[in-house]
Amino acid sequence: MWIRDFFLSRRHRLFIFIILLLLFSLVLMSLRAKQKKGVEFFDALLMEICSPLQKAATLTIQTVQGTFRKYVFLVNLESENRMLKQKIAELQEENNRTKEMKLAMERLKQLHQFREKNSLSMIGAEVIGQDPSSWFKSVTIDKGERDGVKKGMAVISAAGVIGQILKTASHYATVLLITDYNSAIDSIVQRTRAKAIVEGKGANRCQLKYLLRTEEVVVGDAVVTSGLAGNFPKGLMVGEIKKVDKKGHGVFQYAELVPSVDLTRLEEVFVVMEPIPPPPPPKEEKIKKGKKIKK
Amino acid sequence: MRRFVPLLLAGIILLILQTTWLSFFPIPRIRPDLLLIFTLYLAFFFRPFLGGILAFFMGYLMDLFSGNTLGVYTFSRTLVFFATQFLKERFYLEGFFFQFLFAFIFGILEGGLLFVLIHGLEPVSFENLYLSLFTFLLPQSFCTGLAAPFLFFLFKKAASLLFHRPEQGIKARGRA
Repeated sequence: MWIRDFFLSRRHRLFIFIILLLLFSLVLMSLRAKQKKGVEFFDALLMEICSPLQKAATLTIQTVQGTFRKYVFLVNLESENRMLKQKIAELQEENNRTKEMKLAMERLKQLHQFREKNSLSMIGAEVIGQDPSSWFKSVTIDKGERDGVKKGMAVISAAGVIGQILKTASHYATVLLITDYNSAIDSIVQRTRAKAIVEGKGANRCQLKYLLRTEEVVVGDAVVTSGLAGNFPKGLMVGEIKKVDKKGHGVFQYAELVPSVDLTRLEEVFVVMEPIPPPPPPKEEKIKKGKKIKK
Repeated sequence: MRRFVPLLLAGIILLILQTTWLSFFPIPRIRPDLLLIFTLYLAFFFRPFLGGILAFFMGYLMDLFSGNTLGVYTFSRTLVFFATQFLKERFYLEGFFFQFLFAFIFGILEGGLLFVLIHGLEPVSFENLYLSLFTFLLPQSFCTGLAAPFLFFLFKKAASLLFHRPEQGIKARGRA
């Protein structure tokens, strides 16, 4: 009887409602933390509803901004400046590729192999929204599953790596930027070929993890993708080292890098459509596995 | 339902503003959290059932559109809503300074909660998160505080135009 009274009382109903709502949000959080996914259908549906509005809002502000830049402030200078910046970015990318080619030649790799590795199929996408929170770093793009975009695909620009696809809806997708805490990319220091993992550091900075203390790395060294781990093609510019700290002890040294792309001013990006095949496992492992199966 | 739909739409519009127009701010990472101000407004002026569900939903949308894979905002926004509901009996949301201070403090408190949740649920280094507290949480909460009085005024005006009894939570005080 008292249980019925408890549930019927208005005050208790409110209390139960609060508890239920908080519990539900905790269950959702636990689901996401464990499985790294939410309610996929509901997420995709909400994204489909909200993203067109985001796109319209971005278009409005870009139009207003564009009008001001072109016709009010500076008549031709803005477009010329943009063209020159684009040219510089292209030249930098070209320069980076040339360096990569030279190093590849030195290691007796053929030119056509390098070209094959870099001639990936990509689709262009427009950035339609930024992360609503300052704790996390992501952007929303106007290409989704219908365009062939899948979770985990690499997102790049002419200047270098941007991030990877985190969530997808039919026509939209969320890109996790390389500066986010959750981002990790297998990379190498271009000059020394030292291997490391580039991890997001929150602000417009990344850090190099697991970089051996014995490796001679200096400020200004370029860091490029290693092509391992299956997501990113080899040799794409990730950033430039800005700080190196060989701490007093330990196996690894600490290095900080600035991404080559200005991730706060993204407008257009490319999604790499071809999955990069993972490197084959060493022969010994294969043999061992074969033996295990036979047993 | 008549109250729920306009408020839900208002929330979605604020989210879109936050992800698009506000990202054109001169300092990109420091911008007012419009949805936090909206959640505080809901908590002060609307009933717990309607406002609670809306706060939950706003948090869910925040999680959906951010690079956050944990769903921390769904929990934190619901908690902020009920904490404010609890406090509203003791305060009056009047005057620029109080409104600023209220939003600023809740911005910091929510930031602290997120800090604990992120640090607890994911292997993010304490040093990185700790730096974030000073580089953006404090200035962002300050911005949120500054924007709060203006937005509260706008929300009140819009509510008085849309609803017959705009301040339902206040009128129901003591009876719930």
